[in-house]
Amino acid sequence: MNDSELISQILNGNMNAFTFLVNRYQKLVVHITGRLIQRHDELEDVCQEVFLKVYQNLGKYRNECKLSTWIATIAYNTSINYLRKFKKGDEVNPDDSAALRNLTDYRADDFEKADLHRYLRDQIELLPVQYRTVLTLFHLEEFSYQEIEQITGMPEGTIKSYLFRAKALLKEKLKFVVDEDSLKLVKEISNEK
Amino acid sequence: MKNEELDQIIEKSFRTEPGFQLPANFAQKVAFAVVRREQWKTDLREYLYLTGVLLSLLAAVLSFYYFVDKAFVLQSIAFLSQNIIPVILVVLLLNFVWFADRVLLRLLFSRWSKT
Repeated sequence: MNDSELISQILNGNMNAFTFLVNRYQKLVVHITGRLIQRHDELEDVCQEVFLKVYQNLGKYRNECKLSTWIATIAYNTSINYLRKFKKGDEVNPDDSAALRNLTDYRADDFEKADLHRYLRDQIELLPVQYRTVLTLFHLEEFSYQEIEQITGMPEGTIKSYLFRAKALLKEKLKFVVDEDSLKLVKEISNEK
Repeated sequence: MKNEELDQIIEKSFRTEPGFQLPANFAQKVAFAVVRREQWKTDLREYLYLTGVLLSLLAAVLSFYYFVDKAFVLQSIAFLSQNIIPVILVVLLLNFVWFADRVLLRLLFSRWSKT
């Protein structure tokens, strides 16, 4: 069933079609919401709120963008509103120096023991919220720059800049903790995966 | 560590699923929440239909009775118009009880059961 058929079924009151839509897009929503709000105990409620908004506004969807882009926009806005409501304002503003400070709190000793992928995943979670957002949308969900612009309202240049700076921050951290010996260990772990 | 190797490792980590989990029955829960949230609209529609039907029936009975006992109907109308304020208050009270029973209490119970 394609998206437009699915939408018309839902608008005709078919709840099974809506359940199908939730199943299809829940991964997208949980990735965006999870990366932004970073609270596992609240994640389900926020995701539910996103899909309730999707249901209530589905009649206004006009095929001007892909359904996934439209749903991602709702997920992004809902998560940002959640952050504004429950967290301090500085969460929403990127600050590279604070992020780098957070990142470098990890010591080399920890790194040698840690699983590489989990380690990097943890580091991504420490990045400023905008960086996490564009990283998730671009790399994980494979949205284009134009689509990310539609979802977040950020200009294309800013998106590219955030992607670049996020990568640079993580690289800086890796350079800080990884020496030649660690690299061998990293490669071994990476190949085992 | 070489720059390209670092890039590769980082790029790979960007594409790694973050591991956020939703319960297996999440979609069913959302559908249930939607039905519950939309229920008050159905209740309101039902209330308006029923009120319309009751008023129509009342009008039909009065019209019929007008032909049977015209004087009684005119007397009743005169009585009502002489006591217009108490009549309006009673009508509003009855309407509120009727509205609370059909819409308001159901909505409140639904909200309470959510919390």
